[in-house]
Amino acid sequence: MTGRDRMVLIVVSALVVLAAAWLLLVSPERQQAAKLQSKVTQASAQLATDESQLASARSAQSRYAAAYASLVSLGKAVPPGREVPSLVYQLAQASNQRHVDFSSIVSGASSASSSSSSSSSSATAAPAAAVAGFTQMPFTFVFNGTFSDLYHLFQQLNGFTVRTASGGLQVNGRLLTIQSAKLGPASTVAEAGSAKAGAEQLTGTITATAYVLPAAQGLTGGATSASPSGGAGSSTTVASSAPGASSPTAPAIARVLP
Amino acid sequence: MRAVNLIPSEQRRGSTLGAGRSQGAAYAVLAVLGVLAIFAWLYGTAHRQVSSRRSEVASLTARAQQAQATAERLTPYTDFIALREQRTQAVSQLVDSRFDWAHAFHEVGRVLPRYASISSLEGKIGSSAGTATTPASGGSSTSASASGAKGAAASTAVTSATPPGSVPTFTLNGCARSQADVALTLDRLRLIQGVSEVTLQSSTKSGASGASGSAAISGGCAGSDPAFTVAISFEPLPAALATGSSAVTSAVSTGGVG
Repeated sequence: MTGRDRMVLIVVSALVVLAAAWLLLVSPERQQAAKLQSKVTQASAQLATDESQLASARSAQSRYAAAYASLVSLGKAVPPGREVPSLVYQLAQASNQRHVDFSSIVSGASSASSSSSSSSSSATAAPAAAVAGFTQMPFTFVFNGTFSDLYHLFQQLNGFTVRTASGGLQVNGRLLTIQSAKLGPASTVAEAGSAKAGAEQLTGTITATAYVLPAAQGLTGGATSASPSGGAGSSTTVASSAPGASSPTAPAIARVLP
Repeated sequence: MRAVNLIPSEQRRGSTLGAGRSQGAAYAVLAVLGVLAIFAWLYGTAHRQVSSRRSEVASLTARAQQAQATAERLTPYTDFIALREQRTQAVSQLVDSRFDWAHAFHEVGRVLPRYASISSLEGKIGSSAGTATTPASGGSSTSASASGAKGAAASTAVTSATPPGSVPTFTLNGCARSQADVALTLDRLRLIQGVSEVTLQSSTKSGASGASGSAAISGGCAGSDPAFTVAISFEPLPAALATGSSAVTSAVSTGGVG
């Protein structure tokens, strides 16, 4: 073996050793480090997402009391049950305030100008029109009063649930959508039911729709004022959150259990 | 006395530059060792990166899992807030889709000329003006009553009794002192805010030949004053405002109990 051959052998051996060292040790470790870097990136992104969800959930938790109160107040506008008695009460109160005679209420959208049955019992027996979202409950009301009084009554009916200037909702009573209104002279002074002159008296026949929450939804979806999961760790329950049994005003009354 | 080789080194037989007795192997070994040292440094660096990144991934994953678990525990709060926002949006849509009857009556009273009077007024929200006039608010159709009525997102879609696109119409029966006053009444009624069309259906003096008896009688006008019937069409009801639910839901307030 000549010197040159030995030199070639040494160089080749050195290259083999270096290649082996690179391929078997250094390169796999570097690849592993690169893979882990991508995993770190993924984990960071996942953590950011989860922390964002957590922040959102914590924000929801901190806003729960206010949200519960506002949902309950929305129940006055759209209650979980038909709540005809409270509707009649609200209409009677509004008509009293406006010096209007609340003559009749009939369930259903049919013309009811001839009806004078001022009873909520007939209204409760009428079918409600179930449509997507809220359930519609058409009614026909008859009022007697002057044009001015009826105009103010319309204002008050609309004012049960209104938008505020800031874009929020102000709920004072049942949400009503008036579909038709008919004003005509009161046929008799007796029908007008007031001491005012008969010539000034008008009969206003209003066809309006009230709304009811879907049967599947409760007023608060089973939540209580203390917990959204329905009583877990709670000592306070809302007295009337069951569908069909609640009043728009009732949810504000809470019963504290010992 | 030391012998000195006077032959230049590059001309000596069998000699290479720097080969010396090891025939250059020492250089090769040094080079290999150098490269190996670099490899060792690279390996060490990569190894440290692997270790640190592994622990970082583990830490990030643990934090993400913890955040996930906490967020899941708070899911009822998030769901409740979503329910509240959904319901508020639905009520807001219904509120926004109502026709302002009180304002319309006020406007009728405001624009009516001195020598004209109204004996009866009938207003109703008609069917949709058609797809051409239906505001394209985006979102899915809310089915049920109104053709072409568009709501907001399907999840919060509610069907209003007076869906967007519906056309409010008034039919007025009244008396005027003369036909000129009827013309003036038509002109003035066009001044009502939101009116799209005012159509005279009839204007008949009670003593006129071929007059519709019912119109004359129902009008109950004094002497030979003409009784008129006017139809007023308003602009179609607008689509519900595309409000951000957060803006709406933050401000649900309750007024006095109705």
